Amino acid sequence: MSDDSRLRPYRYAEQTSPPEPQRVSDVAVTTFEHVFEVDPRLMERHVLQQQFPNWDSLRIMSSRHDHLDWMHAHFADSVVTGSELLAEIEAEEDA
Amino acid sequence: MTQLDDQPSGPDALAQALTQPFTPGMRDNPASLAEYDDEVAGPAPVSLPDPRTREFVEEWRNASYNCFSSGHKFCREVCPVMQVTRNESWTPTAFHANVVAMEKGELEIADVAADYVNCTQCGACELRCPNTLFTGDFYRFRTRTVDVVKAVRALAVDSGIHQPQWQTWNRRTDERTHEPVLGETDISQEHVRDWADGLDLPIGGETILFVDCEAAFYRTAVPRAVAQILQQAGVEFGLMGEQWCCGGPAAEMGYVDQAKRFARHNLDNWRATGTRRVLVLDPHDYISFTEDYPKYFGEEFDIEVVLVVELVADLIREGRLTPSVPVERTITYHDPCRLNKRKGIWQQPREVLRSIPGLTFHDVDRVTQWSYCSGGGGGLPVEKPELTAAISANRIEKAKTLEVDTLVSACPWSERPLSEAGDGEDIDVVDIHEILAQSLGIEVGGSRGEVGDRRSGCGGGSCGGAGGCGGGEGSAS
Ligand code: SF4
Ligand code: SF4
Repeated sequence: MSDDSRLRPYRYAEQTSPPEPQRVSDVAVTTFEHVFEVDPRLMERHVLQQQFPNWDSLRIMSSRHDHLDWMHAHFADSVVTGSELLAEIEAEEDA
Repeated sequence: MTQLDDQPSGPDALAQALTQPFTPGMRDNPASLAEYDDEVAGPAPVSLPDPRTREFVEEWRNASYNCFSSGHKFCREVCPVMQVTRNESWTPTAFHANVVAMEKGELEIADVAADYVNCTQCGACELRCPNTLFTGDFYRFRTRTVDVVKAVRALAVDSGIHQPQWQTWNRRTDERTHEPVLGETDISQEHVRDWADGLDLPIGGETILFVDCEAAFYRTAVPRAVAQILQQAGVEFGLMGEQWCCGGPAAEMGYVDQAKRFARHNLDNWRATGTRRVLVLDPHDYISFTEDYPKYFGEEFDIEVVLVVELVADLIREGRLTPSVPVERTITYHDPCRLNKRKGIWQQPREVLRSIPGLTFHDVDRVTQWSYCSGGGGGLPVEKPELTAAISANRIEKAKTLEVDTLVSACPWSERPLSEAGDGEDIDVVDIHEILAQSLGIEVGGSRGEVGDRRSGCGGGSCGGAGGCGGGEGSAS
Protein backbone atom coordinates (compact mmCIF):
# COMPACT_ATOMS: atom_id res chain seq x y z
CA MET A 1 0.00 0.00 0.00
CA SER A 2 1.07 3.56 -0.59
CA ASP A 3 2.85 5.50 2.13
CA ASP A 4 1.43 8.97 2.57
CA SER A 5 1.30 8.98 6.32
CA ARG A 6 3.36 12.11 6.95
CA LEU A 7 1.75 15.25 8.36
CA ARG A 8 0.48 17.35 5.50
CA PRO A 9 -0.86 20.73 6.59
CA TYR A 10 -3.07 22.27 3.93
CA ARG A 11 -1.65 25.45 2.44
CA TYR A 12 -3.41 27.06 -0.50
CA ALA A 13 -0.26 28.31 -2.22
CA GLU A 14 1.37 24.88 -2.05
CA GLN A 15 -1.71 23.04 -3.24
CA THR A 16 -2.04 25.20 -6.32
CA SER A 17 1.59 24.85 -7.41
CA PRO A 18 2.38 21.36 -8.68
CA PRO A 19 5.97 20.47 -9.53
CA GLU A 20 7.25 21.65 -12.92
CA PRO A 21 5.93 19.05 -15.42
CA GLN A 22 8.49 16.84 -17.16
CA ARG A 23 7.66 15.53 -20.63
CA VAL A 24 7.49 11.76 -20.84
CA SER A 25 5.99 11.38 -24.34
CA ASP A 26 4.42 13.45 -27.10
CA VAL A 27 1.14 13.49 -25.27
CA ALA A 28 1.97 13.07 -21.58
CA VAL A 29 3.86 14.76 -18.78
CA THR A 30 4.71 13.77 -15.23
CA THR A 31 4.55 15.94 -12.10
CA PHE A 32 4.72 14.00 -8.82
CA GLU A 33 6.25 10.54 -8.69
CA HIS A 34 3.75 8.09 -10.26
CA VAL A 35 1.47 10.93 -11.43
CA PHE A 36 1.20 11.15 -15.21
CA GLU A 37 -0.97 13.71 -16.95
CA VAL A 38 -2.14 14.32 -20.46
CA ASP A 39 -0.36 17.24 -22.09
CA PRO A 40 -2.72 20.10 -21.16
CA ARG A 41 -2.57 21.51 -24.72
CA LEU A 42 -4.76 18.54 -25.76
CA MET A 43 -7.54 19.63 -23.41
CA GLU A 44 -8.01 23.21 -24.42
CA ARG A 45 -11.16 22.65 -26.48
CA HIS A 46 -14.43 20.78 -25.96
CA VAL A 47 -13.63 19.50 -22.48
CA LEU A 48 -11.52 21.75 -20.31
CA GLN A 49 -9.49 20.47 -17.39
CA GLN A 50 -10.81 20.93 -13.88
CA GLN A 51 -9.09 22.69 -10.98
CA PHE A 52 -6.96 20.01 -9.35
CA PRO A 53 -5.20 20.79 -6.10
CA ASN A 54 -2.14 18.62 -5.52
CA TRP A 55 -3.80 16.58 -2.79
CA ASP A 56 -6.44 15.41 -5.24
CA SER A 57 -3.99 14.10 -7.86
CA LEU A 58 -2.05 12.34 -5.12
CA ARG A 59 -5.19 10.93 -3.52
CA ILE A 60 -6.37 9.42 -6.79
CA MET A 61 -2.96 8.00 -7.65
CA SER A 62 -2.55 6.44 -4.18
CA SER A 63 -6.11 5.13 -4.17
CA ARG A 64 -5.55 3.48 -7.54
CA HIS A 65 -2.50 1.67 -6.20
CA ASP A 66 -4.39 0.65 -3.08
CA HIS A 67 -7.29 -0.57 -5.20
CA LEU A 68 -5.06 -2.61 -7.49
CA ASP A 69 -3.36 -4.17 -4.45
CA TRP A 70 -6.79 -4.91 -3.04
CA MET A 71 -7.96 -6.51 -6.29
CA HIS A 72 -4.85 -8.66 -6.42
CA ALA A 73 -5.27 -9.67 -2.79
CA HIS A 74 -8.91 -10.58 -3.29
CA PHE A 75 -9.12 -12.01 -6.77
CA ALA A 76 -5.70 -13.00 -8.06
CA ASP A 77 -3.68 -16.02 -7.00
CA SER A 78 -0.76 -14.76 -9.02
CA VAL A 79 0.14 -11.88 -11.30
CA VAL A 80 1.28 -12.80 -14.82
CA THR A 81 2.99 -10.34 -17.10
CA GLY A 82 1.89 -9.91 -20.71
CA SER A 83 5.30 -11.03 -21.96
CA GLU A 84 4.97 -14.31 -20.06
CA LEU A 85 1.59 -14.91 -21.65
CA LEU A 86 2.95 -14.18 -25.13
CA ALA A 87 5.88 -16.49 -24.52
CA GLU A 88 3.46 -19.20 -23.49
CA ILE A 89 1.37 -18.73 -26.65
CA GLU A 90 4.47 -18.75 -28.83
CA ALA A 91 5.71 -21.88 -27.14
CA GLU A 92 2.35 -23.53 -27.83
CA GLU A 93 2.45 -22.46 -31.47
CA ASP A 94 5.97 -23.79 -31.85
CA ALA A 95 5.03 -27.10 -30.30
CA MET B 1 -1.71 19.68 -33.38
CA THR B 2 1.87 20.67 -33.00
CA GLN B 3 3.89 21.83 -35.98
CA LEU B 4 7.58 21.20 -35.53
CA ASP B 5 9.21 21.17 -38.95
CA ASP B 6 8.67 22.90 -42.24
CA GLN B 7 6.35 20.54 -44.04
CA PRO B 8 3.95 20.96 -46.97
CA SER B 9 0.70 22.67 -46.12
CA GLY B 10 -2.50 23.70 -47.92
CA PRO B 11 -5.70 21.84 -48.82
CA ASP B 12 -3.96 19.14 -50.85
CA ALA B 13 -1.47 18.38 -48.14
CA LEU B 14 -4.30 18.24 -45.58
CA ALA B 15 -6.37 15.92 -47.78
CA GLN B 16 -3.32 13.71 -48.18
CA ALA B 17 -2.63 13.73 -44.43
CA LEU B 18 -6.21 12.73 -43.67
CA THR B 19 -5.93 9.55 -45.73
CA GLN B 20 -3.78 8.02 -42.98
CA PRO B 21 -4.88 7.23 -39.43
CA PHE B 22 -3.23 9.53 -36.87
CA THR B 23 -3.13 10.19 -33.15
CA PRO B 24 -3.84 13.81 -32.26
CA GLY B 25 -0.99 15.53 -30.53
CA MET B 26 1.89 13.37 -31.80
CA ARG B 27 4.92 15.39 -32.73
CA ASP B 28 5.56 13.58 -36.00
CA ASN B 29 2.05 14.20 -37.34
CA PRO B 30 2.04 15.96 -40.72
CA ALA B 31 2.05 19.71 -40.12
CA SER B 32 -0.95 20.16 -42.38
CA LEU B 33 -3.14 18.51 -39.74
CA ALA B 34 -2.83 21.71 -37.72
CA GLU B 35 -5.08 23.30 -40.33
CA TYR B 36 -7.75 20.67 -39.84
CA ASP B 37 -10.65 22.52 -38.35
CA ASP B 38 -12.57 19.78 -36.56
CA GLU B 39 -16.06 20.54 -35.42
CA VAL B 40 -18.53 19.00 -33.02
CA ALA B 41 -21.59 17.54 -34.71
CA GLY B 42 -24.78 17.02 -32.75
CA PRO B 43 -28.32 18.19 -32.22
CA ALA B 44 -28.84 21.91 -31.79
CA PRO B 45 -28.85 22.93 -28.12
CA VAL B 46 -32.31 23.30 -26.62
CA SER B 47 -33.02 26.84 -25.52
CA LEU B 48 -33.91 26.78 -21.83
CA PRO B 49 -36.25 29.54 -20.67
CA ASP B 50 -34.99 29.70 -17.07
CA PRO B 51 -31.68 31.61 -16.86
CA ARG B 52 -30.64 29.87 -13.61
CA THR B 53 -31.07 26.44 -15.18
CA ARG B 54 -29.19 27.61 -18.29
CA GLU B 55 -26.26 28.73 -16.22
CA PHE B 56 -26.37 25.55 -14.15
CA VAL B 57 -26.29 23.15 -17.13
CA GLU B 58 -23.58 25.20 -18.78
CA GLU B 59 -21.41 24.70 -15.71
CA TRP B 60 -22.20 21.05 -14.99
CA ARG B 61 -22.90 19.49 -18.39
CA ASN B 62 -19.40 18.16 -18.98
CA ALA B 63 -19.14 16.68 -15.51
CA SER B 64 -22.49 15.00 -16.06
CA TYR B 65 -21.83 13.72 -19.58
CA ASN B 66 -18.60 12.26 -18.20
CA CYS B 67 -20.82 9.81 -16.31
CA PHE B 68 -23.75 9.64 -18.73
CA SER B 69 -21.55 8.62 -21.65
CA SER B 70 -19.89 5.92 -19.52
CA GLY B 71 -22.67 4.72 -17.28
CA HIS B 72 -20.80 1.64 -16.13
CA LYS B 73 -22.19 1.84 -12.61
CA PHE B 74 -19.13 0.75 -10.69
CA CYS B 75 -20.40 3.35 -8.23
CA ARG B 76 -23.60 1.48 -7.53
CA GLU B 77 -22.68 -0.96 -4.81
CA VAL B 78 -20.35 1.40 -2.95
CA CYS B 79 -23.15 3.96 -2.57
CA PRO B 80 -24.53 3.69 0.98
CA VAL B 81 -27.94 5.04 -0.03
CA MET B 82 -28.25 2.57 -2.89
CA GLN B 83 -27.31 -0.27 -0.54
CA VAL B 84 -30.26 0.37 1.75
CA THR B 85 -32.88 1.66 -0.70
CA ARG B 86 -32.22 0.02 -4.10
CA ASN B 87 -33.89 3.10 -5.55
CA GLU B 88 -32.61 3.77 -9.07
CA SER B 89 -33.51 7.44 -8.86
CA TRP B 90 -31.13 7.84 -5.94
CA THR B 91 -27.91 6.68 -7.56
CA PRO B 92 -24.88 8.62 -8.74
CA THR B 93 -25.78 7.58 -12.29
CA ALA B 94 -29.24 9.13 -11.98
CA PHE B 95 -27.83 12.26 -10.37
CA HIS B 96 -25.74 12.83 -13.49
CA ALA B 97 -28.34 11.68 -16.02
CA ASN B 98 -30.85 14.18 -14.65
CA VAL B 99 -28.52 17.04 -15.50
CA VAL B 100 -28.26 15.76 -19.05
CA ALA B 101 -32.06 15.59 -19.19
CA MET B 102 -32.28 19.13 -17.84
CA GLU B 103 -29.94 20.30 -20.56
CA LYS B 104 -32.27 18.72 -23.11
CA GLY B 105 -35.26 20.44 -21.54
CA GLU B 106 -36.78 17.10 -20.55
CA LEU B 107 -36.70 17.79 -16.81
CA GLU B 108 -36.93 20.80 -14.54
CA ILE B 109 -35.36 21.28 -11.16
CA ALA B 110 -38.75 20.95 -9.45
CA ASP B 111 -39.09 17.41 -10.87
CA VAL B 112 -35.91 16.10 -9.28
CA ALA B 113 -34.91 18.35 -6.35
CA ALA B 114 -36.24 15.92 -3.75
CA ASP B 115 -34.26 13.00 -5.21
CA TYR B 116 -31.01 14.80 -4.46
CA VAL B 117 -31.69 14.65 -0.73
CA ASN B 118 -30.65 11.01 -0.88
CA CYS B 119 -26.90 11.42 -0.80
CA THR B 120 -24.51 11.61 2.15
CA GLN B 121 -21.79 13.20 0.00
CA CYS B 122 -19.52 10.39 1.13
CA GLY B 123 -17.50 10.47 -2.08
CA ALA B 124 -17.50 6.68 -2.61
CA CYS B 125 -19.01 6.88 -6.09
CA GLU B 126 -16.56 9.55 -7.18
CA LEU B 127 -13.54 7.59 -6.08
CA ARG B 128 -14.68 4.14 -7.28
CA CYS B 129 -15.75 5.51 -10.64
CA PRO B 130 -13.10 4.48 -13.20
CA ASN B 131 -13.28 8.01 -14.58
CA THR B 132 -11.68 9.08 -11.32
CA LEU B 133 -9.76 6.04 -10.11
CA PHE B 134 -8.12 5.11 -13.39
CA THR B 135 -8.06 8.30 -15.41
CA GLY B 136 -9.04 11.25 -13.18
CA ASP B 137 -5.53 12.35 -12.28
CA PHE B 138 -4.34 11.75 -15.87
CA TYR B 139 -6.90 14.03 -17.50
CA ARG B 140 -7.30 16.37 -14.52
CA PHE B 141 -10.94 15.63 -15.01
CA ARG B 142 -12.76 13.38 -12.62
CA THR B 143 -16.25 12.37 -11.56
CA ARG B 144 -17.78 15.06 -9.36
CA THR B 145 -20.96 13.59 -7.91
CA VAL B 146 -20.60 15.51 -4.65
CA ASP B 147 -20.21 18.83 -6.45
CA VAL B 148 -23.06 18.01 -8.81
CA VAL B 149 -25.34 17.10 -5.88
CA LYS B 150 -24.38 20.30 -4.07
CA ALA B 151 -24.98 22.35 -7.22
CA VAL B 152 -28.41 20.82 -7.85
CA ARG B 153 -29.39 21.47 -4.24
CA ALA B 154 -28.20 25.07 -4.61
CA LEU B 155 -30.18 25.46 -7.83
CA ALA B 156 -33.26 24.19 -5.99
CA VAL B 157 -32.82 26.64 -3.11
CA ASP B 158 -32.16 29.53 -5.51
CA SER B 159 -35.33 28.54 -7.37
CA GLY B 160 -37.35 28.66 -4.17
CA ILE B 161 -37.68 24.88 -3.80
CA HIS B 162 -36.92 23.94 -0.21
CA GLN B 163 -36.83 20.66 1.71
CA PRO B 164 -38.76 21.47 4.88
CA GLN B 165 -36.28 20.16 7.47
CA TRP B 166 -33.28 21.66 5.72
CA GLN B 167 -34.98 25.01 5.49
CA THR B 168 -35.71 25.04 9.23
CA TRP B 169 -32.23 23.75 10.09
CA ASN B 170 -30.50 26.46 8.10
CA ARG B 171 -32.79 29.21 9.34
CA ARG B 172 -32.03 28.25 12.91
CA THR B 173 -28.32 27.98 12.14
CA ASP B 174 -28.47 31.46 10.68
CA GLU B 175 -30.21 32.82 13.78
CA ARG B 176 -27.91 31.09 16.27
CA THR B 177 -24.63 31.02 14.30
CA HIS B 178 -24.46 27.29 15.11
CA GLU B 179 -26.37 24.25 13.96
CA PRO B 180 -29.33 23.28 16.13
CA VAL B 181 -27.72 19.98 17.16
CA LEU B 182 -29.57 19.88 20.49
CA GLY B 183 -33.00 19.83 18.90
CA GLU B 184 -35.39 22.11 20.74
CA THR B 185 -32.74 23.12 23.28
CA ASP B 186 -31.35 26.42 22.10
CA ILE B 187 -27.68 26.80 21.54
CA SER B 188 -25.91 30.09 21.26
CA GLN B 189 -22.67 31.94 20.87
CA GLU B 190 -22.28 32.34 24.65
CA HIS B 191 -22.09 28.58 25.07
CA VAL B 192 -19.87 27.56 22.18
CA ARG B 193 -16.87 27.27 24.48
CA ASP B 194 -18.66 25.62 27.41
CA TRP B 195 -17.14 22.26 26.48
CA ALA B 196 -13.74 23.65 27.49
CA ASP B 197 -14.75 24.47 31.07
CA GLY B 198 -11.81 24.06 33.43
CA LEU B 199 -9.23 23.48 30.69
CA ASP B 200 -7.78 26.96 30.89
CA LEU B 201 -7.48 27.57 27.15
CA PRO B 202 -6.61 31.05 25.86
CA ILE B 203 -8.59 32.85 23.16
CA GLY B 204 -7.00 33.47 19.77
CA GLY B 205 -3.29 33.29 19.03
CA GLU B 206 -1.30 31.96 16.10
CA THR B 207 -2.87 28.50 16.34
CA ILE B 208 -6.48 27.84 17.25
CA LEU B 209 -8.59 24.70 17.62
CA PHE B 210 -11.83 24.79 15.64
CA VAL B 211 -14.60 22.61 17.10
CA ASP B 212 -17.60 21.64 14.99
CA CYS B 213 -21.14 22.24 16.25
CA GLU B 214 -21.87 18.56 17.01
CA ALA B 215 -18.72 18.21 19.13
CA ALA B 216 -18.99 21.63 20.78
CA PHE B 217 -22.56 21.11 21.95
CA TYR B 218 -23.37 17.40 21.85
CA ARG B 219 -20.33 15.09 21.97
CA THR B 220 -18.22 17.36 24.16
CA ALA B 221 -15.91 14.51 25.21
CA VAL B 222 -14.27 14.71 21.78
CA PRO B 223 -12.99 18.32 21.95
CA ARG B 224 -12.11 17.84 25.63
CA ALA B 225 -10.03 14.79 24.70
CA VAL B 226 -8.35 16.61 21.82
CA ALA B 227 -7.55 19.71 23.87
CA GLN B 228 -6.05 17.70 26.71
CA ILE B 229 -4.03 15.47 24.38
CA LEU B 230 -2.54 18.56 22.73
CA GLN B 231 -1.84 20.12 26.13
CA GLN B 232 -0.06 16.96 27.24
CA ALA B 233 2.14 17.11 24.14
CA GLY B 234 2.95 20.76 24.80
CA VAL B 235 1.21 22.07 21.66
CA GLU B 236 0.26 25.73 22.09
CA PHE B 237 -3.18 26.69 20.86
CA GLY B 238 -6.19 28.80 21.73
CA LEU B 239 -9.89 28.86 20.96
CA MET B 240 -11.52 31.04 18.37
CA GLY B 241 -12.56 34.57 19.28
CA GLU B 242 -16.08 34.27 17.96
CA GLN B 243 -16.58 30.92 16.33
CA TRP B 244 -19.50 30.39 13.99
CA CYS B 245 -20.49 27.17 12.25
CA CYS B 246 -17.98 26.51 9.44
CA GLY B 247 -20.81 26.91 6.93
CA GLY B 248 -20.14 23.51 5.38
CA PRO B 249 -23.53 21.95 6.17
CA ALA B 250 -25.34 24.95 4.66
CA ALA B 251 -23.24 24.56 1.51
CA GLU B 252 -24.02 20.84 1.44
CA MET B 253 -27.77 21.51 1.63
CA GLY B 254 -27.72 24.21 -1.04
CA TYR B 255 -27.75 27.36 1.13
CA VAL B 256 -24.60 28.70 -0.46
CA ASP B 257 -25.00 32.41 0.35
CA GLN B 258 -25.36 31.57 4.01
CA ALA B 259 -22.34 29.26 3.85
CA LYS B 260 -20.25 32.04 2.33
CA ARG B 261 -21.36 34.54 4.95
CA PHE B 262 -20.33 32.16 7.71
CA ALA B 263 -17.00 31.45 6.04
CA ARG B 264 -16.33 35.18 5.70
CA HIS B 265 -17.05 35.70 9.36
CA ASN B 266 -14.68 32.95 10.42
CA LEU B 267 -11.85 34.08 8.18
CA ASP B 268 -12.21 37.70 9.38
CA ASN B 269 -12.28 36.50 12.96
CA TRP B 270 -9.05 34.53 12.51
CA ARG B 271 -7.44 37.65 11.09
CA ALA B 272 -8.67 39.69 14.06
CA THR B 273 -6.96 37.36 16.55
CA GLY B 274 -3.73 36.98 14.55
CA THR B 275 -4.46 33.36 13.73
CA ARG B 276 -2.35 31.68 11.04
CA ARG B 277 -3.09 28.01 11.70
CA VAL B 278 -6.35 26.18 12.38
CA LEU B 279 -6.38 22.75 14.00
CA VAL B 280 -9.43 20.77 12.95
CA LEU B 281 -10.78 17.71 14.73
CA ASP B 282 -13.83 17.12 12.54
CA PRO B 283 -13.52 15.71 9.00
CA HIS B 284 -16.50 17.77 7.79
CA ASP B 285 -14.83 21.01 8.88
CA TYR B 286 -11.63 19.79 7.28
CA ILE B 287 -13.49 19.50 3.96
CA SER B 288 -14.99 22.99 4.39
CA PHE B 289 -11.62 24.57 5.12
CA THR B 290 -9.64 22.74 2.45
CA GLU B 291 -12.26 22.70 -0.33
CA ASP B 292 -15.00 25.30 0.21
CA TYR B 293 -12.97 28.16 1.72
CA PRO B 294 -10.27 27.97 -0.99
CA LYS B 295 -13.04 28.17 -3.61
CA TYR B 296 -14.65 31.18 -1.89
CA PHE B 297 -11.48 33.12 -1.16
CA GLY B 298 -8.80 31.94 -3.59
CA GLU B 299 -5.34 33.25 -2.73
CA GLU B 300 -6.72 35.29 0.13
CA PHE B 301 -7.11 32.02 2.02
CA ASP B 302 -3.60 31.81 3.46
CA ILE B 303 -4.54 29.99 6.67
CA GLU B 304 -2.77 26.70 7.35
CA VAL B 305 -5.18 23.86 8.09
CA VAL B 306 -4.06 20.88 10.17
CA LEU B 307 -6.12 17.77 10.80
CA VAL B 308 -5.77 16.82 14.46
CA VAL B 309 -5.58 13.05 13.93
CA GLU B 310 -2.63 13.57 11.56
CA LEU B 311 -0.95 15.86 14.07
CA VAL B 312 -1.50 13.39 16.89
CA ALA B 313 -0.01 10.51 14.86
CA ASP B 314 3.01 12.74 14.30
CA LEU B 315 3.31 13.56 18.00
CA ILE B 316 3.24 9.85 18.85
CA ARG B 317 5.89 9.13 16.23
CA GLU B 318 8.09 11.89 17.65
CA GLY B 319 7.71 10.49 21.17
CA ARG B 320 5.88 13.58 22.42
CA LEU B 321 2.88 11.40 23.32
CA THR B 322 3.20 7.88 24.69
CA PRO B 323 -0.03 5.99 25.28
CA SER B 324 0.68 3.69 28.19
CA VAL B 325 -2.56 2.95 30.05
CA PRO B 326 -3.90 -0.34 28.61
CA VAL B 327 -7.38 -0.12 27.12
CA GLU B 328 -8.88 -3.59 27.19
CA ARG B 329 -11.30 -3.43 24.30
CA THR B 330 -11.78 -5.40 21.11
CA ILE B 331 -12.21 -2.81 18.43
CA THR B 332 -12.58 -2.17 14.77
CA TYR B 333 -12.09 1.21 13.10
CA HIS B 334 -14.68 3.06 11.04
CA ASP B 335 -13.00 5.01 8.26
CA PRO B 336 -14.92 8.31 8.13
CA CYS B 337 -15.94 8.91 4.50
CA ARG B 338 -14.54 12.41 4.42
CA LEU B 339 -11.12 11.21 5.54
CA ASN B 340 -10.77 7.89 3.75
CA LYS B 341 -12.61 8.41 0.48
CA ARG B 342 -12.61 12.14 0.03
CA LYS B 343 -9.12 12.87 1.34
CA GLY B 344 -7.21 9.58 1.26
CA ILE B 345 -6.45 9.80 4.98
CA TRP B 346 -6.58 6.35 6.54
CA GLN B 347 -3.08 5.48 7.74
CA GLN B 348 -2.69 7.93 10.62
CA PRO B 349 -5.78 6.82 12.56
CA ARG B 350 -4.58 3.21 12.35
CA GLU B 351 -1.14 4.30 13.53
CA VAL B 352 -2.74 5.99 16.53
CA LEU B 353 -4.82 2.93 17.38
CA ARG B 354 -1.86 0.57 17.05
CA SER B 355 0.06 2.67 19.58
CA ILE B 356 -2.54 2.07 22.29
CA PRO B 357 -1.68 -0.87 24.57
CA GLY B 358 -4.36 -3.39 25.46
CA LEU B 359 -6.47 -3.00 22.32
CA THR B 360 -7.33 -6.01 20.19
CA PHE B 361 -7.74 -4.48 16.75
CA HIS B 362 -9.72 -6.25 14.03
CA ASP B 363 -9.06 -3.96 11.11
CA VAL B 364 -10.95 -3.79 7.85
CA ASP B 365 -8.87 -2.33 5.03
CA ARG B 366 -9.57 1.11 3.61
CA VAL B 367 -10.59 -0.10 0.16
CA THR B 368 -13.26 -2.44 1.53
CA GLN B 369 -14.44 0.53 3.59
CA TRP B 370 -15.09 2.64 0.50
CA SER B 371 -18.56 1.10 0.65
CA TYR B 372 -19.02 1.80 4.39
CA CYS B 373 -20.73 4.93 5.70
CA SER B 374 -22.54 6.03 8.85
CA GLY B 375 -25.20 7.91 6.90
CA GLY B 376 -24.47 10.98 9.03
CA GLY B 377 -23.32 13.36 6.30
CA GLY B 378 -24.69 15.63 3.61
CA GLY B 379 -27.72 16.68 5.66
CA LEU B 380 -29.29 13.23 5.32
CA PRO B 381 -30.01 12.82 9.07
CA VAL B 382 -31.81 16.16 9.08
CA GLU B 383 -34.21 15.38 6.24
CA LYS B 384 -34.27 11.57 6.25
CA PRO B 385 -33.26 10.26 9.69
CA GLU B 386 -34.71 6.84 8.86
CA LEU B 387 -32.21 6.45 6.00
CA THR B 388 -29.32 7.51 8.20
CA ALA B 389 -30.44 4.93 10.77
CA ALA B 390 -30.59 2.19 8.12
CA ILE B 391 -27.09 3.05 6.84
CA SER B 392 -25.71 3.11 10.39
CA ALA B 393 -27.37 -0.23 11.14
CA ASN B 394 -25.69 -1.62 8.03
CA ARG B 395 -22.31 -0.38 9.25
CA ILE B 396 -22.80 -1.82 12.73
CA GLU B 397 -23.81 -5.14 11.15
CA LYS B 398 -20.39 -5.26 9.47
CA ALA B 399 -18.66 -4.55 12.78
CA LYS B 400 -20.70 -7.25 14.49
CA THR B 401 -19.34 -9.99 12.25
CA LEU B 402 -15.88 -9.16 13.62
CA GLU B 403 -17.05 -9.89 17.18
CA VAL B 404 -15.85 -6.56 18.53
CA ASP B 405 -17.22 -4.69 21.53
CA THR B 406 -16.22 -1.26 20.24
CA LEU B 407 -16.37 0.66 16.99
CA VAL B 408 -13.87 3.51 16.93
CA SER B 409 -14.59 6.45 14.65
CA ALA B 410 -12.81 9.71 13.96
CA CYS B 411 -15.84 11.79 13.01
CA PRO B 412 -18.22 13.28 15.61
CA TRP B 413 -21.05 13.45 13.05
CA SER B 414 -20.90 9.69 12.53
CA GLU B 415 -20.83 8.92 16.21
CA ARG B 416 -24.39 9.83 17.11
CA PRO B 417 -26.14 7.58 14.52
CA LEU B 418 -23.56 4.82 14.94
CA SER B 419 -23.97 4.91 18.74
CA GLU B 420 -27.73 4.60 18.36
CA ALA B 421 -27.40 1.66 15.95
CA GLY B 422 -24.63 0.07 18.04
CA ASP B 423 -26.62 0.18 21.24
CA GLY B 424 -28.98 -2.59 20.15
CA GLU B 425 -26.04 -4.80 19.23
CA ASP B 426 -24.06 -4.00 22.38
CA ILE B 427 -21.34 -2.27 20.38
CA ASP B 428 -19.99 0.89 21.96
CA VAL B 429 -18.98 3.72 19.64
CA VAL B 430 -15.96 5.68 20.76
CA ASP B 431 -14.07 8.53 19.18
CA ILE B 432 -10.40 7.88 18.43
CA HIS B 433 -9.36 10.93 20.46
CA GLU B 434 -11.42 9.77 23.44
CA ILE B 435 -9.78 6.34 23.46
CA LEU B 436 -6.30 7.81 22.96
CA ALA B 437 -6.86 10.21 25.84
CA GLN B 438 -7.83 7.29 28.03
CA SER B 439 -4.57 5.54 27.19
CA LEU B 440 -2.67 8.75 27.96
CA GLY B 441 -4.19 8.72 31.46
CA ILE B 442 -6.39 11.73 30.82
CA GLU B 443 -9.71 12.06 32.61
CA VAL B 444 -11.64 13.52 29.71
CA GLY B 445 -14.97 14.62 31.17
CA GLY B 446 -17.74 16.01 28.98
CA SER B 447 -20.46 14.02 27.29
CA ARG B 448 -20.31 11.13 24.83
CA GLY B 449 -23.90 11.85 23.82
CA GLU B 450 -27.06 10.25 25.08
CA VAL B 451 -26.22 6.65 24.24
CA GLY B 452 -22.52 6.93 25.08
CA ASP B 453 -23.17 8.44 28.51
CA ARG B 454 -25.75 5.78 29.34
CA ARG B 455 -23.37 3.00 28.30
CA SER B 456 -20.45 4.50 30.20
CA GLY B 457 -22.60 5.04 33.24
CA CYS B 458 -23.72 1.43 33.39
CA GLY B 459 -20.41 0.00 32.33
CA GLY B 460 -21.80 -0.82 28.93
CA GLY B 461 -18.36 -0.83 27.40
CA SER B 462 -15.48 -2.76 28.80
CA CYS B 463 -13.52 0.31 29.82
CA GLY B 464 -14.96 0.55 33.28
CA GLY B 465 -14.60 4.29 32.94
CA ALA B 466 -16.69 6.86 34.68
CA GLY B 467 -18.09 8.56 31.61
CA GLY B 468 -16.38 10.47 28.88
CA CYS B 469 -14.41 7.35 28.09
CA GLY B 470 -11.44 8.72 29.93
CA GLY B 471 -11.92 7.78 33.50
CA GLY B 472 -10.54 4.27 33.45
CA GLU B 473 -7.92 2.84 35.76
CA GLY B 474 -4.71 4.77 35.92
CA SER B 475 -6.41 8.08 35.24
CA ALA B 476 -4.45 11.15 36.07
CA SER B 477 -5.27 14.59 34.86
S1 SF4 C 1 -20.46 7.69 -11.61
FE1 SF4 C 1 -18.83 6.68 -12.70
S2 SF4 C 1 -19.07 4.48 -12.20
FE2 SF4 C 1 -21.01 5.50 -11.76
S3 SF4 C 1 -22.21 5.24 -13.63
FE3 SF4 C 1 -21.23 7.26 -13.70
S4 SF4 C 1 -19.37 6.90 -14.87
FE4 SF4 C 1 -20.07 4.89 -14.18
S1 SF4 D 1 -21.56 10.64 -2.62
FE1 SF4 D 1 -21.96 8.70 -1.51
S2 SF4 D 1 -24.15 8.79 -0.98
FE2 SF4 D 1 -23.81 10.33 -2.60
S3 SF4 D 1 -24.28 9.28 -4.52
FE3 SF4 D 1 -22.07 9.07 -4.14
S4 SF4 D 1 -21.82 7.11 -3.08
FE4 SF4 D 1 -23.99 7.69 -2.95
